[in-house]
Amino acid sequence: MAVATIKTPADLPVSAPRFVGKAVNRVEDPMLLTGRVEFIDNVVVPGMLHCAILRSPYAHARIKSIDVREAEKLPGVVAVITGEDAKRWSNPMSTIPEGWGGYCLATDKARFMGEPVAAVAATSRYVAEDALDLITVEYDPLPAVVDALKAMEPGSPLLFEEKGTNVILHRLFTWGDVDHAFRGADRVFTEKFRWNRLGANPMETFGCVIQWDVLDGTITCRGSIQAQSFYAIALAFTLGLPTNKVRVISHPHGGSFGGKGNPRGLTIAALVSRKAGGRPVKWIEDRMEYLAAGGSQSWDRHYEVSLAAKADGTLTGLKVTLVDNLGATAEGAGAISTGKPLAAFTGCYTIPVAQYDLTIVATNKLYQTAYRGMGPPPHFWVLEQMMDIAARGLAMDPAELRRKNYIPADRFPYTIPSGNEYDSGNYVAALDAVLAMGHYRQLREEQAAARKQGRYLGIGVVNTIEPGVFDWNAYAIVGMQGTGVPEGATVAIDIVGKFIVKIGFSLEGQGQYTVITQVLADYFGVDLDDIRVVPLDSVSAPPHFGPGGSRLGVAITGAVLGAAQLLTEKLVKVAARLLQTDPANVELMDGKLRIKGMPEAAMTVAQVAGAMLGRSDLLPPDVDPNPQATYVWTAPGRTVADEQGRAKSYLTAANACHLVLVEVDPETGKVEILKYFIADDCGTRLNPANVEGMIQGGVAQGVSAALLEEYIYDEDGQLLTSTFMDYLLPTIYDAPMTEKRSLETLSPFTPLGAKGCGEGAMHTAPAAVMCAINDALAPLGVQAREVPATPKRLWTLIQEKRA
Amino acid sequence: MTTSRPVRVTVNGVHYEAMVEPRMTLVDFLRGELGLTGTHVGCEHGVCGACTVLLNGQTVRSCLMLAVQADGASLMTVEGLSREGKLHPIQEAFMEEHGLQCGFCTPGFLMSTLELLQHHPDPTDDEIKEALGGNLCRCTGYQSIIKSVHLAAEKKALRLPHWIG
Repeated sequence: MAVATIKTPADLPVSAPRFVGKAVNRVEDPMLLTGRVEFIDNVVVPGMLHCAILRSPYAHARIKSIDVREAEKLPGVVAVITGEDAKRWSNPMSTIPEGWGGYCLATDKARFMGEPVAAVAATSRYVAEDALDLITVEYDPLPAVVDALKAMEPGSPLLFEEKGTNVILHRLFTWGDVDHAFRGADRVFTEKFRWNRLGANPMETFGCVIQWDVLDGTITCRGSIQAQSFYAIALAFTLGLPTNKVRVISHPHGGSFGGKGNPRGLTIAALVSRKAGGRPVKWIEDRMEYLAAGGSQSWDRHYEVSLAAKADGTLTGLKVTLVDNLGATAEGAGAISTGKPLAAFTGCYTIPVAQYDLTIVATNKLYQTAYRGMGPPPHFWVLEQMMDIAARGLAMDPAELRRKNYIPADRFPYTIPSGNEYDSGNYVAALDAVLAMGHYRQLREEQAAARKQGRYLGIGVVNTIEPGVFDWNAYAIVGMQGTGVPEGATVAIDIVGKFIVKIGFSLEGQGQYTVITQVLADYFGVDLDDIRVVPLDSVSAPPHFGPGGSRLGVAITGAVLGAAQLLTEKLVKVAARLLQTDPANVELMDGKLRIKGMPEAAMTVAQVAGAMLGRSDLLPPDVDPNPQATYVWTAPGRTVADEQGRAKSYLTAANACHLVLVEVDPETGKVEILKYFIADDCGTRLNPANVEGMIQGGVAQGVSAALLEEYIYDEDGQLLTSTFMDYLLPTIYDAPMTEKRSLETLSPFTPLGAKGCGEGAMHTAPAAVMCAINDALAPLGVQAREVPATPKRLWTLIQEKRA
Repeated sequence: MTTSRPVRVTVNGVHYEAMVEPRMTLVDFLRGELGLTGTHVGCEHGVCGACTVLLNGQTVRSCLMLAVQADGASLMTVEGLSREGKLHPIQEAFMEEHGLQCGFCTPGFLMSTLELLQHHPDPTDDEIKEALGGNLCRCTGYQSIIKSVHLAAEKKALRLPHWIG
């Protein structure tokens, strides 16, 4: 049953919302701050064994033999498995696109350094790791290929010989008459760019405790799992079990950013549990496993981009050619990162036509996984650099070139050439806000003065879209099917009027339990303490996906409000009977069911719920006496993708304008961020502190994408950045402190007008920092085209120019 | 495997004795043997700081120490901060300034903050950065953490519990 959307906080059935829109303390925090949250490695189950995984030291090698006999003899070792067990008891890991993967344990050959080869279950992790040392594997090393462009050449080593190529997918998408636009342009700007691999790195790695009961035919799996029902289905398919026999219990997890899960590790732990006679098995991925072989790596891209413009700066067309190095298999959902840019292909601009030439290539690097933003951050990184390049070419101020091409505020909803519809926005307002905050004109004067002193200051002004509330149809071009991503909630009232909200996801860090609590408290006019949020497992909860794709704040608000509205319909019927009036005369306001126009003729929600559960004699015969209701929200108006991939996909389009001032030291190539301003617009801010946290965290990740983070492989496919000593995460010294302002252009399509906001700054910060670096280096004639813009890279470019 | 050895420690004012393998890390001992799972393991190679605890009043990375090295020491972990259902002022400050998101790194930040405030009751931004420079947080971008530490300093009442040397 559909319910009417409550469009703004002012439409809630209270005189004035007390919690929505306020930076209330998070209900999650006391447990987290005292170390009492049940992260997966805290879980101990009776009879539990510990798993350790043996991994290939080679990036590409045929496996000639594996001898596990000595390992099996070690006291405390209960089970050892190899690829033969995987073939016997499981199916190959599912992949997108289909057909580019293998079993959870390497069978014929290993395709990346760190690929699992064998696994042990033992009485402790220490013993399990001892046992790994006793397994003998005979490898026949093969030539490796790690560069996507080389992997496309004839004669390259092949990842899957039977395919005859390493090209997983090549498609050309054309939206509008692109050739005409480019023929008619006054200027065409073309550049190549390189975005190197980086990834999520939540502070907690992946872990699980899994039990495969062979007699019962069931799997019970606890884990630091983001989308539990999605994992349950995938696990059922891989293990050949009915989906309703797999129960996944998502535990609170220490961050994800998309790069948390490890379906291979989960499958391996399940197989070793089976071999151990159905005993529960814990597997905790260690950090080096995570970096080399976990959900750690994303976006390994070669771009060529062309932008067509008229002499007055009007942009008329965009062409993007992308070669993405997906790595050894297509199992990590990494390919869908090449599909999501369709949701915001032309950014904030009225560019009328566009083309996307997409090639996805297999190499002997780790397979890619999701990461915050899921593809658009590199896309905007190139688009926004093209804006600056065009501004220089046209002798325009880069901020003014952007302003000239922004989608005007009165043209929403606005459909972009790649098919998605933006719900609302006011990009000029965001630009003006950030220019005012940063005193842009003054900064330009300071920059000019500094240049006279031989100092290289640079300014980046970048506004991007954050597609919010993901939909499967956004990824149709790489083979994903389906439209709509349901999210459900059950709202229940107990006999004394306390509320329980049952949902299908665990804590991950974004504060969604707090948002649920705020929204429901304001709907029923109760206090935050009157509400408890209870996560249920994959077989118990209403249909759900959980966090991902900047969706959950919007989706769970829709689910909770929908359930509250359905529950209200029941309460109204009972209250009408008790108040001896017609249900049409009863309304909910400020936590009371009251007769319209007679505020004194009212009952509290608690009284009505109490009657439903404890005074059946008073109830009308046709009323449902259960004071709870479930609602499953899904984004309205989504469409199936056409043959060119066009669909109404992501429901909301938040935007943020960043202004960055950097200084580049030409003698060292080091970049220092001097100032950072943000004007962010994600519609209604349900909890402003949560939103600010998302923004600031995204800035740190975006800045370090621009300056620090890179997975480096040598030409043999050996990962050289296999610890946090080599893979650089931003420290408290690296993340800039930012000055923020918020704008609120409400979404007309979502409950309360909120937009997805979990990924925002990651879309903008890499581009903003890079634009500022290139603005600083422009007097030297230097254009950096690669991230991370490390001191060595910039210094080399500067030296080359000087030579 | 080598012969187990005795480890006698005081953790959060409680005395423990156990026999452990010499190779067992201090963090595995705290979490696995003593059940004090508030201290987390983020990297196991001494960079992330999630496993930070106080040993005789000073921060150490419990993933880089062996349990046997802590024999005779007085330790404090995140479980020692709150008392009788009441948050420690540092914990209150982190809650009020939203200085955490997923909370996995947070116990390490709290312990480093506790040490900082012993020496710098009213720290500057630079002093905070120096004290927390060895703790990684992937969620917050650190700005709210710096605010949290300032608020904790304002809240005073930050003397170490009496059982810590």
